[in-house]
Amino acid sequence: MGELVRVEHLKKYFNTPAGVLHAVDDISFSINKGETLGVVGESGCGKSTLGRTVLKLIDHTDGKIFFEGKDITNISKRENHELRKKMQLIFQDPYSSLNPRLCVYDLIADPLKTFHILKGEERQKRVFQLMDEVGLSKRFTYSYPHELDGGRRQRIGIARALALKPKFIVCDEPVSALDVSIQAQILNLLQDLQKQLGFTYIFVTHDLSVVRHISTDILVMYIGVMVEKSPAKELFERPLHPYTKGLLSAIPIPNIHHKKKEIVMAGELTSPINPKQECRFAARCPFATDLCRTQVPTVSEVFPNHFVSCHHVREINGI
Amino acid sequence: MSLLDIKGLTIHYITHQNTVRAVNDVDLSIDTGKTLGLVGETGAGKTTTALGILRLIQTPPGKIVSGEILFDGKDLLKESEHNIRMIRGNDISMIFQDPMTALNPIMRVGDQIAEVVYLHGDCTKEEAKERSLHMLETVGIRAERSTEFPHQFSGGMKQRVVIAMALACKPKLLIADEPTTALDVTIQAQVLKMINELKAVYNTSMLLITHDLGIVAETCDEVAIMYAGQIVEYGNLEHIFDNPKHPYTIGLFKSLPSLDKDVERLSPIKGLMPDPANLPTGCKFHTRCDHVCEDCKAIEPAYQEIEPGHFVRCLRVERGEI
Repeated sequence: MGELVRVEHLKKYFNTPAGVLHAVDDISFSINKGETLGVVGESGCGKSTLGRTVLKLIDHTDGKIFFEGKDITNISKRENHELRKKMQLIFQDPYSSLNPRLCVYDLIADPLKTFHILKGEERQKRVFQLMDEVGLSKRFTYSYPHELDGGRRQRIGIARALALKPKFIVCDEPVSALDVSIQAQILNLLQDLQKQLGFTYIFVTHDLSVVRHISTDILVMYIGVMVEKSPAKELFERPLHPYTKGLLSAIPIPNIHHKKKEIVMAGELTSPINPKQECRFAARCPFATDLCRTQVPTVSEVFPNHFVSCHHVREINGI
Repeated sequence: MSLLDIKGLTIHYITHQNTVRAVNDVDLSIDTGKTLGLVGETGAGKTTTALGILRLIQTPPGKIVSGEILFDGKDLLKESEHNIRMIRGNDISMIFQDPMTALNPIMRVGDQIAEVVYLHGDCTKEEAKERSLHMLETVGIRAERSTEFPHQFSGGMKQRVVIAMALACKPKLLIADEPTTALDVTIQAQVLKMINELKAVYNTSMLLITHDLGIVAETCDEVAIMYAGQIVEYGNLEHIFDNPKHPYTIGLFKSLPSLDKDVERLSPIKGLMPDPANLPTGCKFHTRCDHVCEDCKAIEPAYQEIEPGHFVRCLRVERGEI
């Protein structure tokens, strides 16, 4: 299937009192229709900023964004407003992203009102249809968010995102506030909706097992840069970047016969403010050389559709 | 003999409107130097159990209704308030979930650690100070940083400070309530490794509260699965991971996305945890169970030992039907 979203050399810098914060630094990727791009990384690596910049909820600093083949980088406010019908966001925290003074019906009807879509009975029918699609039973129609649990609140968030029949949805950690049994219910719902309605997702998360389950491709971020991008399965079978390897080995596996490779990464994320001209992972990387500390690595396609940003990727992996 | 032996612990929160039955008839024991993992979802009663051990349940509305908590042979529920204060932080200490709120924001971290040592140890302020510097080094923080304030530390570093404080008096039992939930995976791996190493050095027993079965597999010796205030299954790692019996335990494993197997669709447990103020009759899990029968709705299942050291609370497992 064809390409829906393409991003070229996207940058988003924030000016802070301490200097320029490089939240997203020169990231390029494309997503095909009906596929899911998983974006993983630790807190503060810029993954949420990436999702929001692609949606044009925040202005980018440099680079280009294409949607359905059209350059949407510098569109007018009005065009941006129209674009909302096609692109939507599901928020992380179902506790703070819903207006506590609206009931479930009003919350879901809200996007329809904003865009003057459907009236009267038609609108009512659509709201009930949406509630049905996300698995909210009719008895909650007049409940308020505080009366519902996290899983049901997240279903409201999903129904709101679906209301305008978008093509592209950015899911920003949609399950991380939920318990495992509820998390599984929501993941199944997102997958079912994708199959039925042909959505394209960007799925931002820090949970690697979730991202493997739901994604077609995975993009690994580290302090604003893309360190590796590959098809989901391949990333887990053959990680190439030292950071990805460390990240994968750090996940606790719920299997007592699993033999663990001990790569405990020392140190913590360095600051994204005024980064030096170097590989951003150099400070924590066991393979770092002088080259890594003086030059920013470029992204190269090591295997088909498997991109890595590392000076020494070939030596480290013996390829 | 075990270091900690909890028998029939029941804790309720009583308000004007209703009674929340948070912990119901819980039996647990931990041997010296061992780690027990307490696993369950939000609202299962894990934290209430931990606070009950330290007698930190706010009364009212909380109330320890019945049970015994034998620590080193003494029933903590019968100790005086003064004695309990001597035990807290000294023999039993706790690591809280959120390192951001567990530290005093206007006190230097070195002083916070020294305070614990000074209050419990028979020592001068200088000795306490020295001990605090030593503890900081032990958890991998340079001693120079002892004069800094909590906001100058990152999340992972703050959790290290909390751990240093918890271990400063060489406790016999460490209660860790979701110690790494607020941390990133790579930092989580560092912190877990450190807790394990320090535990071995001091021969400390640990009650590890978590919702992450992966962490349990890597750090615990025994596991208790908690649901709606009850232990539904208890056993060692082999029992729980290779031979789980309770439908809830099995459901938890099926809900997890796998890192090495391809699963088209997850099989979550249907429905939601019951409201602890309004628990169902009979088995507490029967509303969500795939194997439910008429008897499950009426008869409360007993906590049965089905093989040495492996306990299950399920009527149908007991009858050998599943």
